[in-house]
Amino acid sequence: MILTGNEIERQVDENRIKIDPFSIDQVNPNSYNFRLGNKIIYYKNTILDPKVKQEVVEIVVPKEGYVLQPNRIYLGHTHETMGSDYYVPIIRARSSIARLGLFVHVTADLIDLGSYNQWTLQLHAVQPLKVFPGMLIGQVTFWETVGEKILYNGKYQGLKGPQPSQIYRDFKEEVRI
Amino acid sequence: MILTGNEIIKQVKKNRITITPFDESLVNPNSYNYRLGHQIIELHEESSLGNSDNTVENSCHDIPKSGLILYPGKVYLANTFETIGSNNYVTSLIGRSSLGRLGLFLQISADLGNLGPAHKWTLELVCIQPIKVYPMMKIGQVSFWVPKGEILSYNGKYTNYSIPKSCIYEDLKGGQ
Repeated sequence: MILTGNEIERQVDENRIKIDPFSIDQVNPNSYNFRLGNKIIYYKNTILDPKVKQEVVEIVVPKEGYVLQPNRIYLGHTHETMGSDYYVPIIRARSSIARLGLFVHVTADLIDLGSYNQWTLQLHAVQPLKVFPGMLIGQVTFWETVGEKILYNGKYQGLKGPQPSQIYRDFKEEVRI
Repeated sequence: MILTGNEIIKQVKKNRITITPFDESLVNPNSYNYRLGHQIIELHEESSLGNSDNTVENSCHDIPKSGLILYPGKVYLANTFETIGSNNYVTSLIGRSSLGRLGLFLQISADLGNLGPAHKWTLELVCIQPIKVYPMMKIGQVSFWVPKGEILSYNGKYTNYSIPKSCIYEDLKGGQ
């Protein structure tokens, strides 16, 4: 079941959901609006091989904005650090943003229980689009779970700023086996 | 409500969720990592909603072990290596963030499965930059959701297929 805005607020007060910083103005009927952080990265290579660790270029997004081009995947991040040991966060764009053709996650909107980060946003613009630091870019919803909980214990934890893919580690592990 | 990883394991052991083959090391806090199957179909440029010939079927081929580069501006159909499904919980396929961070979409818009028989799931691969994929790589996650209401099990077009398939042409011919 999805948490209402009031319930999100209550669970933040009770420290069962972390949204930091938290602003009551950003609470919706069943979600919370988060902001775009001030760093964006993109990959140096055009052709991406998951077996190879990819080098990135980091941009600090200026106040005047930064234009995202359609032919690249950009990684941004949420301004807020968020997570929960109790409710599964699922992120989506705000419809105002989606109506401009901006995807804020490519395919992985589900955040693991117990994972706390400034979340990496997988930004894809269908048409060239300017983004600004601090803009309200997406929403997070929180969902109840069924079953005994196991908390996230993986590669991406306690992170600030956008994080490039670490999938090359999958292939290194396989070689070791 | 979404099932936790522990609950997915429990329900697989009770045969209320099918994931075959099943590997406990692929269980996450609230999902299971599935792998990319061996076959892929590239939708040809001349494929269109009005075209009813079988070029889509003929271009199914194996992904080489050395990998295959996918290019932007195209749709590729692949499938999950695992047979997945449940009559009790709703299946939802998503990608892994590791692949999302490389700009690979696995489902264009249709990530929701039907309650019903288990099968290999078709993945709609679209990439933003050219990207190499390898057979059997951990490529996505499947989550399971508790439904509300009387269960009506799926009995439609895609039940029996375990190769990647698009059935839109049969729709247009007025089939099933």
